Amino acid sequence: MPDALALYDAMRANADAAYAAWRNPERPRIDVAIDQSSISNGALRTRAAIERVVSARNAAIDLGRVHGYGIQWLHPLVQVTFPDGATVLYGPVTPADAEAIVDEASGRWGAAASLRIGMVTGERDGVPSLRDHPFFALEPRERRLLRNLGLTDPESLEHYIARDGYRASARMLGRHSTEDQIRTVMNDAGLTGRGGANFPTGVKWNFLFGAAGEDHYLVCNADEGDPGAWVNRVVMEGDPHLLIEGMLIGAFGTRSKQGYIYLRDEYPLAIARMEQAIAQAEAAGLLGEDILGTGLTFRLRVIRGAGAYVCGEETGLLSSIQDSRGMPRVKPPFPAQRGVFDKPSNVNNVESYANAPLILMHGSDWYRQYGTERATGTKIFSFSGDIARVGFMELPFGVPLAKVLEVCGGMVGGELKAIQSGGPLGSLLPPQSLPKLILQGDSFSPWDAIMGGGGIVFCNDKTSVLVLAEMFAAFVEEESCGRCTTCHGGNQRQTEILRRIIDGRGRREDEPNLKLIDRTLQFSNCVHGQFSPKITRNLLQHFHADYEAALRGEDPSLTMAGLYRVVVTNQYDPALAEAVAICPVDAFRGPAGNRSVDDAACIRCGACIDVAPKAVGKQAKARTVALN
Amino acid sequence: MPLETESKVRLRALVAEFRPNNGDLLAALHRVQHEFGYLSAEAMEVIGDQLGLFPAHVYGAASYYEEFRFEPQAHTNIRWCSGPACRLRNGNGIRDALLASLGIGHMNGQTEDGRVGVILGQCNGACEVAPMVWLEQHESHTIEPVGNMSAARAVRMARALRDGATIEEATNA
Ligand SMILES: Cc1cc2nc3c(=O)[nH]c(=O)nc-3n(C[C@H](O)[C@H](O)[C@H](O)COP(=O)(O)O)c2cc1C
Ligand code: SF4
Ligand code: SF4
Ligand code: FES
Repeated sequence: MPDALALYDAMRANADAAYAAWRNPERPRIDVAIDQSSISNGALRTRAAIERVVSARNAAIDLGRVHGYGIQWLHPLVQVTFPDGATVLYGPVTPADAEAIVDEASGRWGAAASLRIGMVTGERDGVPSLRDHPFFALEPRERRLLRNLGLTDPESLEHYIARDGYRASARMLGRHSTEDQIRTVMNDAGLTGRGGANFPTGVKWNFLFGAAGEDHYLVCNADEGDPGAWVNRVVMEGDPHLLIEGMLIGAFGTRSKQGYIYLRDEYPLAIARMEQAIAQAEAAGLLGEDILGTGLTFRLRVIRGAGAYVCGEETGLLSSIQDSRGMPRVKPPFPAQRGVFDKPSNVNNVESYANAPLILMHGSDWYRQYGTERATGTKIFSFSGDIARVGFMELPFGVPLAKVLEVCGGMVGGELKAIQSGGPLGSLLPPQSLPKLILQGDSFSPWDAIMGGGGIVFCNDKTSVLVLAEMFAAFVEEESCGRCTTCHGGNQRQTEILRRIIDGRGRREDEPNLKLIDRTLQFSNCVHGQFSPKITRNLLQHFHADYEAALRGEDPSLTMAGLYRVVVTNQYDPALAEAVAICPVDAFRGPAGNRSVDDAACIRCGACIDVAPKAVGKQAKARTVALN
Repeated sequence: MPLETESKVRLRALVAEFRPNNGDLLAALHRVQHEFGYLSAEAMEVIGDQLGLFPAHVYGAASYYEEFRFEPQAHTNIRWCSGPACRLRNGNGIRDALLASLGIGHMNGQTEDGRVGVILGQCNGACEVAPMVWLEQHESHTIEPVGNMSAARAVRMARALRDGATIEEATNA
C-alpha cells in the first residue's frame, strides 16, 4: 500500500512546478481580483476590457485571477506579475485604465504609475511593499488565515498544495498523528468557535468523537447571516481548500465520514468555488473514498441555503439540511448527541475549521504567538459603515478598536455616533466605549455587548440610533422562526414601538414596555429570541439621551420620519425643477417661484435633495401629538 | 397512465437525480426555481414524489425561506440591500423611492404588468459601494450589482425599467 505521504509528495512535485511557472511566468500575466466585492465594483467589466486590449494588440501577456486582499475601497484590483516574479498591485482599475495596465505589463514601466498600490512580491524602484500599506498596519507581517490571498489563484488546487496545503493532513492521514492528538492540539492552541459563542473547538470535537455509533457527521456553518460580516465569504472565495482541509482534519479527529457545508444563497461565488474545490480534492484523492490510499472516507457536500437567518443557529441549520423548515429546536439533545439525520454531529463555523490546518502544521505554541491569553490566534474582521476604508483584515485578538478605526481612515461624513458589532443579535456601542474596546469578546461585556462573528460597522451622527435600532428590530422580527410566542410576538411589539417613536409618536410607557419585552424574550427557546432585544437594550443603556430627545420630538440627525419635513429652501435655484420632476409621489405643490412640499404626501425618500441639495432640505418638525 | 403535461415531464427530469432522506430538498427546490423562476404547485408535487415527501411538507419547508417564490417573477427584479452600511446611506429612502416610483405597495411585490419587481436583499459584503441594489433577470440569469445608489438614481432606474429599459440602460439612467 502506498504511503499517504509518498502520494502527497508526488502530487506536491507537480504542484510546485505549476506554481513556480505561475509565480515566475515566461511572459507577464495580468490577474484581476475576482470576488463578490470586486464584482460589485465592476471587476468583470475591467477584466473584459483588459482582455479586449490584449487580444486587439495580440500582446504577449497572459490573463489570470486572484482574490482581493481586503482593501475593498480600492476595487477593482488588478495585479501584474513579471517574469522575474515581481508582482505589482493596482487599483481602482476601471475599463478606461485597461490600456495603461496592458502598457505597463508589456514593459512600458510607468504607464500605470498612478494606479499602483504596492508590491505584492518582489521589488521595483519607488513602489512600496503592499504590507506597508497603512490599512495593514495592525495585521501580522505574515498573514495566516489569509496567507494565500493574492498569492494564488483561488480556483487552483495546485497552488494551494504548493503553498504547503494538505501537507499537515497528509502526515496526519499517514498516521503520523492519532485522532486524540488532533483534538489535543486544537485544545492546546486554545482555538474557540468563531461563529460567535466562543466555545472551545477541540472540546466540541471530543464530544463528537466520544458519541455513540459509527455514523458521525461534520457540519460547517457557512450561513454567515449577519449583515455587515463577510469573514467566512473571504475564506471560501479566497482559499476554499483551506476550509476543506480544516474539515478533513476535523473528520479524522472525530471519525466522521460525511460532511456538509451549509452555505448561504447570497454567496453564489463562494458556492461555485467550494463546489469546484471539493470536486478537485476528490479527483486528487484528497477527499471521498480511500483518501490518499489510507482506506479512510470523508465525503463532503455543499448545501445551498435559501435566505433564512435562523438557519445559522445550529439546530435550525440541521433541520434545514434534513428537508425541513429550518427552525431551531430545544437543546438538549445537542448536535453531538442528535444532529443531522439524528446522528451525532458537530457544527463549526467556517473560520473555526479554517484554523485547523494552520494549527496542525505549525503547532499550538506557534498559534498562540498572536492574540491574548484568553483569546488566542488571529481572526478575520470586516469593517464597514461611515469609514474611509471599507474592507477586511486578519487581526490578532486584543487589538484596540480605536487603532482599527484609525487604519480604516477614520470616520467620514460626521462624528462617530455608534459602533455596531455582532450583527442583529449584537450590540450598539457608544463612542465613549471606543478607547476601552479591544478585539476580544470579553472586552465588550462591560457594555452589555458582544463582539460576535467579526462584522463591525462604524456609524456616524448623520443617522439616528433609533433608526438603527428599528432596522435591526425589524430584521429579527422578520427572521423569527415563529416557534416561540415570546419571540415572534415580542419582536413584533418591539419593532412597532420603535417605529412609532420614529414616527414622532413615542409614549412615556414605551420604555417600561420595551424593558418588559426584553425580559419576556429571555424565555425564548433559542439565542435568536434571547438576544433579539439586545440592540434596543443598548439603545436605552448607552443612548438614553437620544431616546429621551426622540420622545420630546427632537432628532438632530433629521432621519426620524415623523420629526422632520422636506422643505423648499431656495425658490430660484434652477435645480428645483429637477427636484419637482424626480419626486416619485408628486409631492411638490404650487407654481414655479412659489413651490412647497406637501408634507402629507412626502415619503421622505430624499430624491429631491439628491438632485437639488441647495433648493430643498430637511427641517425639524415638532411632535404632532402630545407626549404622555 | 394519463399523459403528463410537458412541464411535469420537464420537472421530473430536472429532479431525477435527487433522493429521499439525503438532504436533497433545498437543492431540488433551487434547481426548479432556477429553471422556472418560481415553484409551482405542480413542482411541489413532483419534488415530493421524488423525495418521498407530501407536497404539503415540500411547500411547508419551501415557504420558510425568503428566496423561494411561488408566483411567476417580474421580468426584472430590483433586489434592494437591507444591510447596515446601505441603511447608513439612505437605504430606506432608496427602498421607498423604488416602491413609490413603481407603484408597488410592499417589498417583494411587482408592477401590474409584471415588468418590474422589488425584492428584499441581504448584505453580501460589498459595503464599500453602499448603498447598493442588484438588478436581476431570471430569464437570462443575469445579476448586475449597482453600487453608489441614491434615492434620485433609484427613481430614474425604476422609471426606466418600468418603461422597458434594459438592465444596462437602467444602470446608466
Ligand atoms: C439566529 C442565529 C444565527 C446564527 N448564525 C450563525 C452563522 O451565520 N454562522 C455561524 O457560524 N454561527 C451562527 N450562529 C451560531 C451557531 O448556532 C453555532 O453556535 C456556531 O455555528 C458554532 O460554531 P463555532 O463553535 O465554530 O463558532 C447563529 C446563532 C443564532 C442563534
Ligand atoms: S427564539 Fe425565535 S427563532 Fe428561536 S426557536 Fe423561538 S421563535 Fe424560533
Ligand atoms: S423626499 Fe422624496 S417624496 Fe419627499 S418631496 Fe422629496 S422626492 Fe418627494
Ligand atoms: S450593507 Fe449593503 S452591501 Fe453591505
